[in-house]
Amino acid sequence: MFYQPKSIGEALELKAELKESGAFIAGGTDLVVLMNRGIRPTENFIDLSHVKDLTAINKHNGTLELAGNVTFAQAGRLPIRCLAKAALSVGGPGIRELGTLAGNLATASPAGDGSTALLALDAEVELSSARGVRRLPLDKFFLSYRKTALASDEMITKIKIPTNYQTDWAKNGKRGAVNISVVAVAVAIAPGLGSGGATVPVAKHSTTASQRLAPPRVRIALASVAPTPMRCHKAEEFLAKNGLDTGTIRQAVEIVRSEIKPITDHRASADYKVHLAGVLVRRLLEKLVKA
Amino acid sequence: MKKKTVAAVYDRRKKTNGRRSQGAATELWSLKFTLNGKRVSKRVRPDQTLLDFLRIEMELTGTKGACLEGECGSCYVLVDGRPMNSCMMLAPQVQGREVVTIEGLAKGKHLDVIQEKFVECGAVQCGYCTPGLIMAAKALLSNHSHPTRQEFLVGMEGNICRCTGYNKIMRACEMAADEMGLKK
Amino acid sequence: MTQPADMLQQALANIHAKAKSSSAYERGPTKVVGKSAQRLDGVDKATGKTKYGQDLFDKKYLFAKVLRAAYPHAEIIDIDTRVAKTIPGVLVVLTHKDITGTNMHGLIRRDQEVLCSKKVRYLGDAVAIVVAKDEEIAAEALKKIRVDYKPLQALFSMEDALKPDAPQIHAEGNVLGEKHLRRGDAPKAMSEADVVVEDVIQTQTTDHAFLDLEAGRARYDGNMLTIEVSGQWLHEERRLIALALGLPLEKLRLIQPATGGAFGGREDISIQIYLGLCALKLKGKTICLRYSRSESMIARHKRHPVRVDYKLGAKKDGTLVAAQVIFYVDKGAYASTGIAVMRKASSHATGPYKVPNVWVDVVGVFTNNNPCGAMRGFGAAQTAIAYEGLMDRLADKLGMDKAELRRKNLIQSGDAVTTGQIVPHATATECFDAVLKKIDWNHRSYDTPAPHLKRGYGLSIVCFGLGYGDGFPDASRARCKLTDDGIVELYSSAIDVGQGLLNMVCQIAAEEIGVPLDRVRPILADTELTPESGSSSATRQTYFTGSAVQLAASELKKQLQDIAAAHLEELVYEIKIENGEAYNVFRPHKRMTLKELAREGRKRGFSLDAASLFKPPTMPEDTQTGQSMRAFVTYLFGSHVCQLLVDTETGEVKIERYIACHDVGKAINPDQVIGQIQGGVTMGIGMALMEEVVLKDGKILNAGFTDYILPTIRDVPEIECIVLENPDPGGPFGARGVGEPPLIGTAPAVLSAIYDAIKKPIRQLPATPERVWRTMQE
Repeated sequence: MFYQPKSIGEALELKAELKESGAFIAGGTDLVVLMNRGIRPTENFIDLSHVKDLTAINKHNGTLELAGNVTFAQAGRLPIRCLAKAALSVGGPGIRELGTLAGNLATASPAGDGSTALLALDAEVELSSARGVRRLPLDKFFLSYRKTALASDEMITKIKIPTNYQTDWAKNGKRGAVNISVVAVAVAIAPGLGSGGATVPVAKHSTTASQRLAPPRVRIALASVAPTPMRCHKAEEFLAKNGLDTGTIRQAVEIVRSEIKPITDHRASADYKVHLAGVLVRRLLEKLVKA
Repeated sequence: MKKKTVAAVYDRRKKTNGRRSQGAATELWSLKFTLNGKRVSKRVRPDQTLLDFLRIEMELTGTKGACLEGECGSCYVLVDGRPMNSCMMLAPQVQGREVVTIEGLAKGKHLDVIQEKFVECGAVQCGYCTPGLIMAAKALLSNHSHPTRQEFLVGMEGNICRCTGYNKIMRACEMAADEMGLKK
Repeated sequence: MTQPADMLQQALANIHAKAKSSSAYERGPTKVVGKSAQRLDGVDKATGKTKYGQDLFDKKYLFAKVLRAAYPHAEIIDIDTRVAKTIPGVLVVLTHKDITGTNMHGLIRRDQEVLCSKKVRYLGDAVAIVVAKDEEIAAEALKKIRVDYKPLQALFSMEDALKPDAPQIHAEGNVLGEKHLRRGDAPKAMSEADVVVEDVIQTQTTDHAFLDLEAGRARYDGNMLTIEVSGQWLHEERRLIALALGLPLEKLRLIQPATGGAFGGREDISIQIYLGLCALKLKGKTICLRYSRSESMIARHKRHPVRVDYKLGAKKDGTLVAAQVIFYVDKGAYASTGIAVMRKASSHATGPYKVPNVWVDVVGVFTNNNPCGAMRGFGAAQTAIAYEGLMDRLADKLGMDKAELRRKNLIQSGDAVTTGQIVPHATATECFDAVLKKIDWNHRSYDTPAPHLKRGYGLSIVCFGLGYGDGFPDASRARCKLTDDGIVELYSSAIDVGQGLLNMVCQIAAEEIGVPLDRVRPILADTELTPESGSSSATRQTYFTGSAVQLAASELKKQLQDIAAAHLEELVYEIKIENGEAYNVFRPHKRMTLKELAREGRKRGFSLDAASLFKPPTMPEDTQTGQSMRAFVTYLFGSHVCQLLVDTETGEVKIERYIACHDVGKAINPDQVIGQIQGGVTMGIGMALMEEVVLKDGKILNAGFTDYILPTIRDVPEIECIVLENPDPGGPFGARGVGEPPLIGTAPAVLSAIYDAIKKPIRQLPATPERVWRTMQE
């Protein structure tokens, strides 16, 4: 069956009833590709493309709220560098008009460009179901290869992003456009920091509780180097402690290289990905420090 | 009275004629949309891609399929003015929307300026990618007042052409922009 | 003492030189030929009206699907189709037992079964076909066919296939064949050379990746079997289908739909026989069949991956003295056109360079990979990568400028190529100088915007034998008719695969007869209507079919001149036909229109119908020495220069500038010539940097465009084209051809530039960022 709800409530009720036997389809770029290969991914489609209250982009107190149907094309026009660049690195213009950020999160591809940029931004997702609404930091969203924290009756209704970060994005593929990344990197630095390196404050003797209040100031996320898009927490902590300068960046790069666990596949070998990840991280951080 | 489930409401709304043996997802769906300026009302298989629907049901074979995974752009159509890979969409997703295919660009014998320039510049060789490229260019030139070279590249990067080497395609687009008074 | 053969060659060279100097082409300015007329099929293509194979489908037709092998190498014990046949909506399930002909096909050797009976040799082998009401039902039915296999040890590398105890893929063994070339005494000359460089280069498997997937329809009305599928050589396909299905030739009609690219990928039979078989079994029904992208990639032949062991010797001053080359060619499962590809590799082993002593061995080895066959460049592309790579290394070793080294060794008019064939008019130097001048070679800059970026400049020169060559019958036929309403109908079976053949033949006919282009009505590629023209391959159609069309048009024109002379009561040699009218050059008021000529011609019993055959002979290469006085009808020359940046940290390559010069003899349609050059270069950039079919245990890991990476608009710089026109005495209006040379020149030029940038050679194609980076780490 094909359902085309007009509201979030209607969509959630459908999903609550159909559970695993129903799948949300927004842009369709992940589901329809399977169908073209003769695979039927689900018995019931819940088409979100006509849900009106999933389209908004709002800004509240320095936080950007993107509703679930915000596409890569829309994200490509946002003033958040790493997200906009990541979004514009997805497919061609047609795919960017179809594919959504929320869909990119939900499909949880290790190469997810949107997911990776959002991870670096420390985005928060709003997960809704007929049972209610919960919020989750994105860092807790990806569980394992193509597995997320989404319950069978839930959908991503909102993505919240802090806007006051300096960010950037780099992606390496085998050609000039329409790439699935060999490696992609997003970095974000908290406001007012990062210039002059040593001015990055050190989070002293932080307790578990205060860590939540004072998260690491530099965030590094990578695609295609692990079963899920991943954050490099150790490298981030190292930089938060030691500040950003040419020397610490080089050390952080080595930490990144040891943190990631890419596999050899038909796109590239693991050792090249490890090398490349370091180059891209170093270049992005150096560029941000300079800026 | 027992509250009806949403799915049940849908079940009641849907018509059951034309039921096929393959399973529930092939129930026909009542699709109403605008195609090349005309209102269309048609019963469709909801698991049919927009590409197949246009080519098979509407017999508009100008829109091509070549990779069926969103990588080549041969299947581009405009949906509410935006370029989309019709091979990646299910037909019912264009419910209530305005779809334009390559067949909808020329007005009778009068070609769209982009079509004209593609022919004039030799941007057409085997022609299989041509409709998709022209739709990509159409979207680009409709949504950008004065596209830069970089914007042209971004707008056309989703279309694979195996014959021309793209140089003449770029020239055709730029000449079309010139003619439309769009170029910087 | 002068050998008789040498004397004959000298005589031939003299004749050619004379033909050149007396210039057969002093015809005055042309009106249609040489003009960039718009593509005659352009408007239909740009409006979506053109019908390609898949556009011929209709819901009410029947649909076929093919069952592929489950193992790359296995014996078939039994095929059980009983369950599949019971599925509602299934009309027939066919296996080899349903084929009454030979069930064999293959362009040079008939070594491939249409539907396998005893053995499968690669994962694309076909075992059964289902015809059903729709594709979904057909796909369901395929799953219900039970095939019992006895898997055999499969061979995925040439090394494994050449082991003495390796299982035999074909009854005759795992070696398809060998090809040798011996010129002078290479081992001796090599031992005496001042400088020797050698290396092993491995090219990759590539896919044609034309966009218009294999698709078409067929119908049998009880008398005639009509098949509409895009191929590259209609009449050869008809022969192969007829033999395989046991059908008399005259009961088989092939019609070519519009064709969305080919590049050699439609030379082998694709779905034609499957469709024909289904139609024969279901009289009166129209059967459709189409491949998905992955099925297309899995089933179709590929470009041969070749391992080239190349050794090059020179004197201190850079003069080449010897080349010793071994090509190991992975044939995949079937012969396809492999023997011809191997021959082309050997006859092009030293490209445009004069090497007096040459030793070439080519070995074709069967494996259980995809069969390999024709693809733009046809053996010469892989070869050029090797010899240009070696020239770079030789220049380094000699401490010579690589342009100087090349220029010094280029063949000149009257010199012989590797096969011993004298090339009367060689323009390699002219092409080379043109690109060097354009890039300003002596002032090239290595300054880059950042230290991690290194610039490189690469060079390549192409010398390419046109046509099938090697004594293989190579002919084209054409026919021109004048209709009662004064239209010139032009009949040819040559196929426009996108390259622009349609304009080429029409422009030549219009020019030759003297009519405007819109008075020519082309009727192409229908075996019931059009004469055999050979394949759209080997860069041959402009030369061959162009000539055939010119001959037929010329004969028709002579008839028209006779009619005009008789009717106007004028001398025939004073009658000129221009712009669709015949008139006396001295009394221009005495004139007739084409329509009047047609009417008058009918009255006077003229046929107004002229047929032609163009069939220049070539001579087979000697089986032991590879020598032939005329291995190819003529040679094409070109030269490329590539300027690029290498990111030394990531291995990424960015092409900054690309210049390609080709001597095409005469550009019948200059715009389309440039289109061919730019398209060929782009395909070459794909081959150099990104395209690669990744096979693991015979299975293609990237059977789709997500991972079979093709160049996008972002990967291609402005391709600056220089078109030279040194007329060929044998081509129409002096034209030669341009299809393959641009592809052949590109990968070598790109790789040469990467070498210049990183000072290390890429030995395995393509030069992906990872490979470039890894090479730098060596």
